[in-house]
Amino acid sequence: MDRKLLGVIDATTYQKGLEDLIQHRSLAAVPFGGRYRLIDFILSNMVNSGIKSVAIFPKNQYRSLMDHLGSGKDWDLNRKRDGLFFFPAPAEEKEITSFNHFAANKDFFDRSNQQYALISNCFTVCNMDFEPILDWHIKSGCDITEVRKDGRSLHMFLMKKSLLVELFETREETGYTCMRDVVTDINSPYRQCHYEFKGYAVMIDSITTYFNESMKLLKPSIWKELFLKNQPVYTKVKDEPPTRYFTGASVKNSVIANGCLIEGTVENSIISRAVKIGKGSVIKNSIIMQKCQIGENCVLDSVVLDKDVKVNNGTMMYGTKELPYVVRKGTVQGALMNS
Amino acid sequence: MAKKKCVAMLLAGGQGSRLHSLTSNLAKPAVPFGGKYRIIDFTLSNCTNSGIDTVGVLTQYQPLVLNSYIGIGSAWDLDRKNGGVTVLPPYSESKEMKWYTGTACAIYQNLNYLIQYDPEYVLILSGDHIYKMNYELMLDFHIKRDADATISVIEVPWDEASRFGILNTDSDMKVVEFDEKPANPKNNLASMGIYIFKWSVLKEYLIKDAALPDSSHDFGKDILPTLLSDQKKLFAYPFSGYWKDVGTVRSLWEANMDLLDDTCGLDLFDYTWRIYSVNPNQPPQFISDDALVVDSLINEGCVIEGEVEKSVLFQGVKVEKGALIKESVIMPDAVIGKNVFIEKAIVPSEMVIPDGTIIRALPDADDEIVLVTEDMLQSL
Repeated sequence: MDRKLLGVIDATTYQKGLEDLIQHRSLAAVPFGGRYRLIDFILSNMVNSGIKSVAIFPKNQYRSLMDHLGSGKDWDLNRKRDGLFFFPAPAEEKEITSFNHFAANKDFFDRSNQQYALISNCFTVCNMDFEPILDWHIKSGCDITEVRKDGRSLHMFLMKKSLLVELFETREETGYTCMRDVVTDINSPYRQCHYEFKGYAVMIDSITTYFNESMKLLKPSIWKELFLKNQPVYTKVKDEPPTRYFTGASVKNSVIANGCLIEGTVENSIISRAVKIGKGSVIKNSIIMQKCQIGENCVLDSVVLDKDVKVNNGTMMYGTKELPYVVRKGTVQGALMNS
Repeated sequence: MAKKKCVAMLLAGGQGSRLHSLTSNLAKPAVPFGGKYRIIDFTLSNCTNSGIDTVGVLTQYQPLVLNSYIGIGSAWDLDRKNGGVTVLPPYSESKEMKWYTGTACAIYQNLNYLIQYDPEYVLILSGDHIYKMNYELMLDFHIKRDADATISVIEVPWDEASRFGILNTDSDMKVVEFDEKPANPKNNLASMGIYIFKWSVLKEYLIKDAALPDSSHDFGKDILPTLLSDQKKLFAYPFSGYWKDVGTVRSLWEANMDLLDDTCGLDLFDYTWRIYSVNPNQPPQFISDDALVVDSLINEGCVIEGEVEKSVLFQGVKVEKGALIKESVIMPDAVIGKNVFIEKAIVPSEMVIPDGTIIRALPDADDEIVLVTEDMLQSL
């Protein structure tokens, strides 16, 4: 029996509550964990589970996502047969649903020879092996298996590819617009099962979860579960040098990516690639994204700096754990502002 | 094959025997350097950054690690449809097996590789040095002077000049004399082992040299002196900047420490001249509550719970609680146990230093730099 899985990533989602971070990028491309984007987790999980063909269906603002994925080479998905497929939504349709989007690319589903399909969202952080879940799905004899964590749907669904095609082909009659509609319809004729995932898994659907789950990376138990040696999380290669710590640097309980220049103090924070932290500056409980430049004698507590933010010398910025202070991409923060 | 203006030939077969156990199962150009690189990354990145897209890499000694590291050259953007990187190992001919017995011999045996690109110029490089250099500028210099061969030179301290091959030149940098390791140097311009030849001249002299039974088939000893005595136009191209042969444990250690000195002239953070390497794909580094890291370079995948001062740590290194590392180089995936003390040492890849070990040079040691070996750990 052919037990191959086709990977389908539904990246059409827009999460209210993450506006500051998804103004200029797809939710799938939101930076996470110092060197990753949210989509890296599901994409790496698929590749590590032996999935050879992955289709990504993005909607708006997919430039940064395309730039990140490229040909799929960093996930070993630049293949002659199968590999990575990218299906941008037609520009004229603003409110395109998942099933409309899939249906518009029915050719792809027809051409794919995998018997099963895994449909997933693009914003779940986890390290999940789908092979045992597929086994479980086949043994259970269910039509649709929904992967759950603590009883809550992770918006990941396994089914026969033929059923997926049937679902989106009959969308006009059934009124289903996405997988969620199918599984929440109590009159649905399909037999549904729930697979409870035991490991760490979280959907990033608000600034608070984004912030709190980022901070959980500082717990060794979560860290070890997410970054398994034999199931690595792949991402786009950047060729940054190692991170340089200068005299006077003080870093405690933090995750630091490559290419940083650190002269100040960092505590309980996530620092992405190529960030500069000047002398006398103190960064606490914060998430600093790629290429931010923090001057001298700044104080940042409970702050999320999006990419390329420049913080002038002597700037103070405070947020709270419940409501971190989010600074938009590419802005300049001065000492006299926000203080 | 499309004709190429300049093809690079990178000599990467060196054993590097003075690096002892570091090169027991890999060639010197594959030795880890600078927290994430291997020595050869510098030369390959220089090629890419200089616009040279066709590089033959000549391997011989322990090539497995080097071969798999280079792969198809994608890390350096050298996976090209036309050109790119080609690994050139020694091979057997119908009558005999031919090893590379000298630098010129290695190129001679790969004349067919060069013939297929029919370049105008050939750049000869060594994969043993740490430096950043724009070969395009050297090529411009070579073309402008219509030279037959150009040798890149660097000013070395006068008191060290007798350790190098010294070039004596006229005021226009035309080479008038080669002085191999002179007792009384007249000059302090040392050859860097980087040559550009007119392809037609190189081909002619390599064929001639191969027929000489007494030749050692070496560029420095045979080919270049013959060119000079034949009145060919040889020029010295003056290079200034960081350049270091990392042939000994001490020089390898020093070059790593140089990266922590902002005045040394080797800047890894210069984005206009990136040093590319094969990405190990590890998670970011984790610095714990108990850690202290100052004056150091730390690569991704490290987990630091101890103290690190003035050191270079490669990917995947674990430093456990209470450990103190000073002025040391810790290679990939090594584990430094609890309460270990290490000073002025190189710890090779994947080595596990047991809890409580103290590593520093003995007071009567020849060198204060310690290369940690398994034997050494056994005898503790």
